[in-house]
Amino acid sequence: MFEIDMLFAFGLFSIGLYGVTSKKDFLRIFFALEMLLNAVILMLASGAVHLGATQNIPLAYMVIVFATLEAAVGILIFALSNRLTNKVIPDTIGGIQ
Amino acid sequence: MNILFLSLVLILAIASLTTQKSVSALIAFGLMMVLLGGYYIYLDEKLLGLFQIFVYAGGISVLMLFGITLIGTDFPPTRERPFAIFLSVAFFGLVTTLFMSHVSQLPHHATTPSNPSLFSDSYGDFVIIFALIGASLLYATIKMAKLLQSQRGQDV
Repeated sequence: MFEIDMLFAFGLFSIGLYGVTSKKDFLRIFFALEMLLNAVILMLASGAVHLGATQNIPLAYMVIVFATLEAAVGILIFALSNRLTNKVIPDTIGGIQ
Repeated sequence: MNILFLSLVLILAIASLTTQKSVSALIAFGLMMVLLGGYYIYLDEKLLGLFQIFVYAGGISVLMLFGITLIGTDFPPTRERPFAIFLSVAFFGLVTTLFMSHVSQLPHHATTPSNPSLFSDSYGDFVIIFALIGASLLYATIKMAKLLQSQRGQDV
């Protein structure tokens, strides 16, 4: 069971890695970043349940809190850069003064 | 059961990255988070599951929907970077191989009792780092919100 959970967590992390590295718009990059963090949360929860490493659970809560703050910062950067440059693809933004 | 749950999670993850329409992608993302929360509840980590559903499917999805309404739903199609798929497949293969070769050496402590002061016992040394990260992210959020507000003021 633990091995299956970990394999799926690696799969989710790989999909997130694909989303971050492929040439996507801001929205998809956010989704991909959240997938990376969720893969970590899945690993922590699985380790807590199957290996008895219960100290993983508080760390999973911390990751969720950081993910929420990261999403808030990201959305605001997204909105601000869109307002300044009128673009939604990060690669097409030359530079924000 | 867990394979079904997690397979659906992966399918929805791929769908949220490949769907062209932004709102459909957001719905797939929200469903993925609900399923992950359901899986944690199935694993008997009820609070983590509920936290996941409320924070991700509730908070972050709505935050992203708010972002979409600010920017608009039209995202131009982009060309894929050729190394992206190769990189992710190579990463998956490498990590899986490493994990499978070392999984038997992992310690099992399935009888560890629950401890009310688990966080302070395990992460007491890292509290300042956690607080610094949280505070800097919060500061960045407020700073960006102020910048956005001043930019709006200039536009008006």
